[in-house]
Amino acid sequence: MWAGLALLAGQSAVWAQGRLFANGPLSPVVAPADNPQTDAKVRLGAQLYFDTRLSADNTISCATCHDPHTGWANPHSTDTGIGGQVGGRNSGTVINAAYMRFQFWDGREGSLEGQAVGPIHNPIEMGETHENVVRKLNSIPGYREQFQGVFGTDVTIDAIAKAIASFERTVVSGASPFDLYMMGDHAAMSPAAVRGMHLFNGKAHCTPCHSGPLFSNQGFHNIGVGMDKEKPDLGRFDHTKDPADHGRFKVPTLRNIAETPPYLHDGSEKTLMDVVNYYNRGGVPNTELDPLMVPLHLAEREKVDLVAFLEALTGPVARVDVPLFPDGAGVTADPKGGLR
Amino acid sequence: MKNRVVLAGLVLGAIAGFCRPQDASAIPVFARKYGFNCTMCHSNMPRLNDFGQRYRMNGYQLVGLGSLEQTVLESPAPVALRTSAGYVGTMFNEAAGLSDATASDESDFRLNGLDLLSAGQLGRNIGYFMVYVPQIAAARGVAGQEGSLEMASIVFSNLASTWLNVRAGRFEPAFVPFSVKRQLSVSPYAVYDATFQDGPALSGAQSGVEISGHGPSRFQYAAGLVDGGGTNVAIDSPADVYLRLAQVIGAGEGQTAGQRLGVMGYLGRARPVDLLSVNSCRPADTLRVSATRRSFYRVGLDACLNLGHANLALQYLMAGDDWAFWGEKEHVIYSGGFGELSWLPRTEFVGFARVDYLDAPKIDSRDRFRLTGGGRDYGDLLRLTVGGRYYIEDNVVIHGEYSHRSEKSVRKAIDDATESFVTARIDFAF
Repeated sequence: MWAGLALLAGQSAVWAQGRLFANGPLSPVVAPADNPQTDAKVRLGAQLYFDTRLSADNTISCATCHDPHTGWANPHSTDTGIGGQVGGRNSGTVINAAYMRFQFWDGREGSLEGQAVGPIHNPIEMGETHENVVRKLNSIPGYREQFQGVFGTDVTIDAIAKAIASFERTVVSGASPFDLYMMGDHAAMSPAAVRGMHLFNGKAHCTPCHSGPLFSNQGFHNIGVGMDKEKPDLGRFDHTKDPADHGRFKVPTLRNIAETPPYLHDGSEKTLMDVVNYYNRGGVPNTELDPLMVPLHLAEREKVDLVAFLEALTGPVARVDVPLFPDGAGVTADPKGGLR
Repeated sequence: MKNRVVLAGLVLGAIAGFCRPQDASAIPVFARKYGFNCTMCHSNMPRLNDFGQRYRMNGYQLVGLGSLEQTVLESPAPVALRTSAGYVGTMFNEAAGLSDATASDESDFRLNGLDLLSAGQLGRNIGYFMVYVPQIAAARGVAGQEGSLEMASIVFSNLASTWLNVRAGRFEPAFVPFSVKRQLSVSPYAVYDATFQDGPALSGAQSGVEISGHGPSRFQYAAGLVDGGGTNVAIDSPADVYLRLAQVIGAGEGQTAGQRLGVMGYLGRARPVDLLSVNSCRPADTLRVSATRRSFYRVGLDACLNLGHANLALQYLMAGDDWAFWGEKEHVIYSGGFGELSWLPRTEFVGFARVDYLDAPKIDSRDRFRLTGGGRDYGDLLRLTVGGRYYIEDNVVIHGEYSHRSEKSVRKAIDDATESFVTARIDFAF
């Protein structure tokens, strides 16, 4: 009987590892049926992504806040949009956003297409209207021809969304040292990172939320960030109006997390060690603090190990250069693509 | 003299019998179910951390992550085994027979029992927990154990809210502030098991029903109706009630983070054993019992204080028994407690040191049993325990422990009874 039980237990262990923690390399991105991937569409999307003419004052592009040189995110705590206006949240990375079920920290968009055009009419970010952007791009022959070729129509906001989303679907990370380690290359991760991996799935309590191939359960949690402010950002509540969502924000992917400081939805933690220390304290108490949050009592060496593991989640991302832009609309696009 | 030894056994025999070094439980089935490491829920197996405590209070479900839950039909076979093997040495002085007539020195390498555990979800908010202890015949190198379904309970959690959870079956009652099943040491918490002849050991599992609840304020309550542990052969129906209240201050659950203060009260009724029928050669189940039920109570205060990587557990317990349980003219009151300091500098190691004491019943039995001589101090107990656990893996532990127990002699002519216990073992579960 014991042998049988042991066999069952062993099989179960393999099963469970596969379910939650044996996060293998990411599977190919699946594009929505109404927006199939094509090379021409991706090239068009890249142009739009870097084109500052999508903003009201022609200074801000998608890349301004989601800079490929800084992990496709913003190295500053929060965004600075047109006119020097400062937003309230840190720019999430585009890397692997294609796999996320929800977009934005509060998850108010369910697709990359929906996310792609949101900042255009955000008064703090790009400050433009969709109508004006469509009119502006339709006045640029090079764009109108490409839209005709790709979508069979003139420029529309829907087509802009689809093109940018198609480009963003190419921004995915490759195999990280962690992936290589899980595939059997035990030299791929340092001993510290291996120790950190065990902490990640144990004492540090990361896995309940940062699980699966993306290291995100794609849920929403209140971990207390900023909840001690006079007017805290209520996150998902502002979208759903559900009191249970007070202070909840999307669980971000941890892949390539080392490339995207600062951290948390308000960019309040500058380094991965700062984030670990934040969790180690158990977050900021508030009435809706997630019950998963408890002080961790990590030792200093354990924190270092945990950071080593997080750094081992960094995989290669294809390099993208700022493309050439078609002229027109009476304004020349920033040849630097809005990068700062 | 014979009666004197027998009477000594009423309380101290209970301590020695129920409080033999024991192994605690850990549940690899949960780690296996989710693919988590054991340290997700255990600060140092088997002790729970705050996350694990919340998991337990939520009916063996991850708090707020219902989508991850699967029933036992959908998830891995929920079975785990736990045992330990290693050296055990116990040395008694000449007076050891005073408290445990069967005690004798031992020095041996051996297997220390086996627990078979199963737990999981039967459905949403319906969990179960089961511990089966198979019968093992004692042999050289193998500690014997009686077969028993030690625990089997079902818990209905979050009935309307977290304030109402119901557990039924045979379980570890919530009034025990520091779980005997999840303690770090092999040496027992003596105070939980101090009782009258065939009285209930508070550390043991009890059959009955318990309601419990907790809320965001971190206030916790538990109340139950139980059978007294089934150790009293004369208890013929569930008759004991208890209430536990606790408040956690600060973040955490007062396990390794936050501070916890608690009180408990236990009121029991049982039929006293006819002490004149007590004979050391007579089987326990043939003892005559009174036709009238008598009452007894236990009240306790506890605190769990955490500072960084150190944890201080404090327990005070007072017991009051009807005179009939002791053959006395008046109610018998006694008390005890313990203070345990544990230090968890890192995942791989925990050290612990504990002082147990028992201010044993002060009984004047001379009239009733016509005993001659002797003092009125009756077996006050002091136990000092130090030890450490090193975790090779989450579920493979090298355990070292030394414990010294001394009991005050009831006769000036006899030295205090002492016991020195030492063990070095490997504790493992899968």
